[in-house]
Amino acid sequence: MTDEAKAHGPYRIYWVTWGILLIITVAMLAAEKFHFPRLFLVLFLVVFMLVKATMIGGNFMHLRYEQRNLAFIVAAGLLVTSAILFSFITPESLSVRARRSEPAAAPTTPAHHP
Amino acid sequence: MHDGTHAAALPAGWGGGVSPFGATWQKTMMWIFIVTDGLLFSGLLSGYGFLRMSSLTPWPDRSQVFSIPFIALMTFILITSSATMGTAVGASKLGDRKTALRFLILTIVGGAAFLACQAYEWTHIIEHGARLSHNPWGAPQFGQAFFILTGFHGSHVLSGLVVLTITAIRTAMGKTPAQGVEMAGLYWHFVDLVWVFIFTLFYLL
Repeated sequence: MTDEAKAHGPYRIYWVTWGILLIITVAMLAAEKFHFPRLFLVLFLVVFMLVKATMIGGNFMHLRYEQRNLAFIVAAGLLVTSAILFSFITPESLSVRARRSEPAAAPTTPAHHP
Repeated sequence: MHDGTHAAALPAGWGGGVSPFGATWQKTMMWIFIVTDGLLFSGLLSGYGFLRMSSLTPWPDRSQVFSIPFIALMTFILITSSATMGTAVGASKLGDRKTALRFLILTIVGGAAFLACQAYEWTHIIEHGARLSHNPWGAPQFGQAFFILTGFHGSHVLSGLVVLTITAIRTAMGKTPAQGVEMAGLYWHFVDLVWVFIFTLFYLL
């Protein structure tokens, strides 16, 4: 724990983080109620989801007090893997959807020889 | 191998010595576990994305399936339990065993309340006819995504409660060092972290 944290009360950081997380959660729930354009809503929710994750990792899990290389490996490992997974899955799922929506092919009839 | 010998055997230029992250081996191992467990949820959420995007039937409107204020209450409980856990970790680092124990118990109560809410939610959804293969609201894959995502998360909460209970008992007996409480805390915060993603991607989006 840093000297600064001790000077402001040893547990203050956890309860300030708690308050900010709650405010962000309420804002996310409120955003759902307003009829924002879909793309804006998705961006808003994803950005604040990542802000919340950063606050939990940094303040609750103490990554901000650890060496930078630990924080970097954790964040980069998870973010890069997730990005790769989603980037492969998105086109694949859309192609599966397109195949499913195609009308069933007409059954092939054997050539008729009179 | 003796530490000194080990350090000497490391290739020149490594520079990390025997503690490359400046953390104890317990903390380093805990972080490795958290990253691998995080990858599990990353895979599950990607699978959910695949099911949803490839579905021809419209994805059910979550506000018709769930009570969103109730899900918000669950989120509030979990975030609060993370703050009490952080306080317990802070207190144990300062050697204040009594405060650490008090906040550990509060965290356990929060975790148990979250699990009770989840059990209620599952019961409600199952009573309305939702199963892994079908549901009354829309895309049949919705049931799989719901039960698998929340089921895996719930099982993590349950194992976290076991770890916290053991840590609280050992703290009361004066047997758990501050680092033990910190490791339990890292796991509990991870459970909270995963919920942030499930809450946003599954319930809100």
